[in-house]
Amino acid sequence: MGRYFTDRLYSHLAKYGAGTATTTDDRLDATFAALANATRRAMLARLVRGEATVNELAEPFQLSLPAISKHLKVLEKAGLIERGRLAQYRPRSLNPGPLEEVSTWAEQYRPVWEGRLDRMNNYLERLRREDKDA
Amino acid sequence: MVEKTPDTVTIERTFPAPREVIWRLWTQPEHFASWYGPEGSTVSVVTMDVCVGGTRVVCMEVLTPQGPKQMWFTGTYLEVAENQRLVYTDSMTDEHGRVMTSEELGMPPGHPTTTEVQVQLESVAGGTRMVVTHVGIPEGSPGAIGWERAFDKLSDRLNATRSE
Repeated sequence: MGRYFTDRLYSHLAKYGAGTATTTDDRLDATFAALANATRRAMLARLVRGEATVNELAEPFQLSLPAISKHLKVLEKAGLIERGRLAQYRPRSLNPGPLEEVSTWAEQYRPVWEGRLDRMNNYLERLRREDKDA
Repeated sequence: MVEKTPDTVTIERTFPAPREVIWRLWTQPEHFASWYGPEGSTVSVVTMDVCVGGTRVVCMEVLTPQGPKQMWFTGTYLEVAENQRLVYTDSMTDEHGRVMTSEELGMPPGHPTTTEVQVQLESVAGGTRMVVTHVGIPEGSPGAIGWERAFDKLSDRLNATRSE
């Protein structure tokens, strides 16, 4: 990791800044809690295709409307979905922000692994060459 | 976007070498140390006890403007199926094997300090298909707490062994 890792640390600090730490922590907790449920993940998957009303979101599940609305509240509290302004139907739509945030710290490892596997490949080639030489 | 598990990175490569060779690159200290670290770093494998429950301690020395800096990575092997599948945990620790907090690492709270690395090897025409999955275990989550306890035990045992 080395240099790259250190750079990452700084960019993270710059991005999140001092003082917002607790908020970030709470937000990540809320995001993960919201994602740790198959029904809620399915609802998000539906919303990826476009906004939907509560009835439309409830349709695939054999759940009571209060249960559905409880799931929606969790997603809303985590900031993963938004309520439309159309008072009568109040369609829900996806807010990708928190998802991008949680994917950032996983995705930051991707270039690290790409680098490692490039070196693995080079090392393999070196081994093969040495084997030929021997 | 939602289909993708957000706390996981998966990378797939195909190498023109048999599985046995790739396996050795992951499990033999001298091989592992040769490719793992970035340019300018020196990796030394302190312990690589490749068996389920076995310990893995890797030290990486990098040059910084303040001089050489050592980083320690400690983990446990969770799955060992020779030439097929290797799973281990990996945490940044201090030199005593204590898992560092995200605050000490300069990361936002909740940033995973313990991760799990899964290596899957499969023979394909012309070589080996390798899938590496890196799973982050968020700090403070039940998983992380569990591992931290395991590491506490481990470092207690290490200390006990040292003082014997």
